Amino acid sequence: MYNILICDDDKDIVSALDIYLTSEGYRTIKAYNGREALKAAEQNEIHLILMDIMMPELDGIRTTAKLREDSNVPIILLTAKSEDSDKILGLNIGADDYITKPFNPLEVIARVKSQLRRYTSLGGADRGPGLLTVGPISMDDSAKQVTVDGEPVALTPIEYNILKLLMSHPGQVFSSAQIYEQVWNDPAYGSENTVAVHIRHLREKIEINPADPRWLKVVWGLGYKMEKGSV
Amino acid sequence: MARIQSSPVGKLLSWALLLVFTFAGVQMGLSAASSAILAVGDWQSTAAFSVLLQERRDQLAQYFIDSIDWDFLLANDFSYTQDEMDLMQLQDDIQTAETELSAEATAFRYQLRTSDGTVFKSNLGEDERLSQVVDQVYYSILSPQTLSDLDGSFQWSTSSLEWGSLSLYDVWGGRGTLGTLTGSVPVYILAYGVPSVPPETISDEFTALYQNCSTASAQFLPLIIGASVCGILALIALGYALWTAGHKAGQEGITLFWPEHAFVEIHLLTTLIVLFFLLWGGLQATDTYLSLLNAYYSAVSTSTATETSLMTYVISLLSTLAVGTVSLLLRTIAVRCKGHSFVKTSVICLVIRWLVLTIRDFILSIPLTWRVIMAFLLYFFLNLVLFTQGQYNELFTGLWLCLNFLVLLALCWWTVNFRRLRKGSQALASGNLHHQIETQRMPRDLKLYAEDLNNISVGMASAVDEQMKSERFKAELITNVSHDLKTPLTSIINYVNLLKATRQDDPKALEYIEVLDRKSQRLKKLTEDLVEASKASTGVLSVNREKIGMAQLIDQALGEWTEKLEERKLTVVSNLPEGETWVYADGRHLWRVIDNLLSNCAKYAMEGTRVYLDLTRGKGQVSLSVKNISREALNIPPERLMERFVRGEESRTTEGSGLGLSIARSLTELQGGTFSLAVDGDLFKATVSLPQAN
Repeated sequence: MYNILICDDDKDIVSALDIYLTSEGYRTIKAYNGREALKAAEQNEIHLILMDIMMPELDGIRTTAKLREDSNVPIILLTAKSEDSDKILGLNIGADDYITKPFNPLEVIARVKSQLRRYTSLGGADRGPGLLTVGPISMDDSAKQVTVDGEPVALTPIEYNILKLLMSHPGQVFSSAQIYEQVWNDPAYGSENTVAVHIRHLREKIEINPADPRWLKVVWGLGYKMEKGSV
Repeated sequence: MARIQSSPVGKLLSWALLLVFTFAGVQMGLSAASSAILAVGDWQSTAAFSVLLQERRDQLAQYFIDSIDWDFLLANDFSYTQDEMDLMQLQDDIQTAETELSAEATAFRYQLRTSDGTVFKSNLGEDERLSQVVDQVYYSILSPQTLSDLDGSFQWSTSSLEWGSLSLYDVWGGRGTLGTLTGSVPVYILAYGVPSVPPETISDEFTALYQNCSTASAQFLPLIIGASVCGILALIALGYALWTAGHKAGQEGITLFWPEHAFVEIHLLTTLIVLFFLLWGGLQATDTYLSLLNAYYSAVSTSTATETSLMTYVISLLSTLAVGTVSLLLRTIAVRCKGHSFVKTSVICLVIRWLVLTIRDFILSIPLTWRVIMAFLLYFFLNLVLFTQGQYNELFTGLWLCLNFLVLLALCWWTVNFRRLRKGSQALASGNLHHQIETQRMPRDLKLYAEDLNNISVGMASAVDEQMKSERFKAELITNVSHDLKTPLTSIINYVNLLKATRQDDPKALEYIEVLDRKSQRLKKLTEDLVEASKASTGVLSVNREKIGMAQLIDQALGEWTEKLEERKLTVVSNLPEGETWVYADGRHLWRVIDNLLSNCAKYAMEGTRVYLDLTRGKGQVSLSVKNISREALNIPPERLMERFVRGEESRTTEGSGLGLSIARSLTELQGGTFSLAVDGDLFKATVSLPQAN
């Protein structure tokens, strides 16, 4: 049983989230601005915080900064601003994830689950040889097993090989042709198109929101890369 | 610097020094000038020497005549003597002259001869010859006849002296000719001269003059140098006084006193009057001084020394006053020039300015056409006159050439300025609204034109700025409104989702919920597109251009879209050139452009047709065209398609916001590319062109 603090100045959004999360079996605590959120976090044992950025009195960014002074509880920011700079600021200040409004409730639940799993069960310490980890994604090469937040994911052999190539070089950009040559072991003759399709499928399997991927990124016009897993 | 300039002590000191140095300089100058009379050349060539020599000559002649008289009286036992006193006087005179002319008393050396060469009288020693003792031997002739009767083989001049029947002539010429002259005519010859270095034992007027000349030539150089130094120092003092003039302690800039407000001509007139009187006095003093100087150097009177020095003081004082007066005039002119009030405080300048302005206004009031015609007629007339006159007089030819050269210069000036004007208007026409034409030193008519152009560009620039501001404001408004819309939209989407999860018995309710779900999703897409469109069109998006592979990007885009297009039974046919094609673009923005175009295909292309993707490169440009067959008839021009909220079909029932092409065009232009659409029947073609990267 996890306690989730929901904080938004729009009461309808808070209660909608409350309904979704309660139905998933979480206990919720509600707050309507940053100050209340801080107070609630002091008085209760909180396992995760869902927080809006634009709030009266104390906004989400400052509340996050305050919370981070003595707690490493996962914080997911809800934001109506879709600019990249806002997202980067939120993540830099100490938030673990962000969801842009208007959001899909299923995505919220998926992200909540992901954060909770990593916060509670995965210490990140059980790393063995042949184990590649990037963010929530782990790859056990000996068992040919890929897990996201501890949940196993079923991949085709080609998808697995592409993922392995990208995960062994996090941050490095591979063009479609490079990936094709490495995975198929064939020279590329304009058949890279298949690489793009495979990567899209792969993204659908390992990303919560494939249209806005967190880890398996598309570098438009240059290729694909795996983000360096800092979280 | 300012402190030095405004120090009253410095000013007073400089004026005092100016006067002192002027006084001293004039003093020394006068002394030098008077010395120069004696110091330049041999002392025997001075005017004073010839005066002294003439006096001695006359004394000698008198002595000679007296001696002849005495001899005559003696020969006749004084029977012709009328008066005892006269006789006594004559004897006395002869004796005095004999003493004064003796070799012990004077440096003057002489020889008196009769015409047959017998030496009658001389103060030379036994074996001395006159030509050895003196440098220059002077000859004079005493003759009872007028010398005009004689032959002209030598030159002579009559002196003013005449004694009875005898006349005295100064003679220049060879001694040989003198011999032939004296052969036939009864004359007495006076030969005389002064040694170039008179014996020191003798003290007479010649030794005095010699002494004076030696002293003067020793003094001359130091005096000249002293006078020059004083003059330079006085000039420096004057310069300092003019430099500091008008500056006052504790005040910025130039302070004008009441004398500087009076007309400068009053100062000028006063100065001229004062100078006139000073000059008059100076001339008087100089006259006196010169006569005194003559007397002094001829050593006739030695008592004039104090008077001479008094006169030099008077002249110096007058000169100093003159210099002071002129300096005061210069000072007021300097102050006026420094304070930029010279023209305002000068009657002449004011009158000239008024005249110039009046004439200019008159000329400018004539219309341009008439002015041009008048100018041409004037030029033509002058040309004609000068040219025709030039055939007789070269001066007119020169004037004619000058006139035409000046006209050429004026035309060049006009042309240069016209070109400047045209460049300015070209800049304006090409959209550089901040270009201002330099209007300084332009012909007046062009200047007026240039100022009009400048005003237009300023007006247009401000209008454009205003428009940009309002566009940006609009974008901000749209963004803010969209943010505000997103919050209630979030609730709607969430509650529709919750509603879907509830049990609904009525099948109609399920249908309604489905509509709500679809429309809320569409609303979400619309708000997102709206924000993007407004941002893209106002250019507030940041653009990071880098080298992008077009083939890679198309490949990636197709990877995203293949399955959705296949669902619509659309086949993609892509024609890419060999190898990678590199462009300069922002990858994310370019992806949005291609994403929008493919999304358009998915939405509006007729099912079962082909979509053509063509990539071409050439002339530094890379073009990507997307062609598809529209499902609906495209009955609107391509320009309209790119406007916001315009879609190929008017019913607006399909998904899509109508912003896709507008966003694509704005984003392409942000990256420095061009975006064009073409519609041919049902064939829809979009082309994105970008600069190629090497």
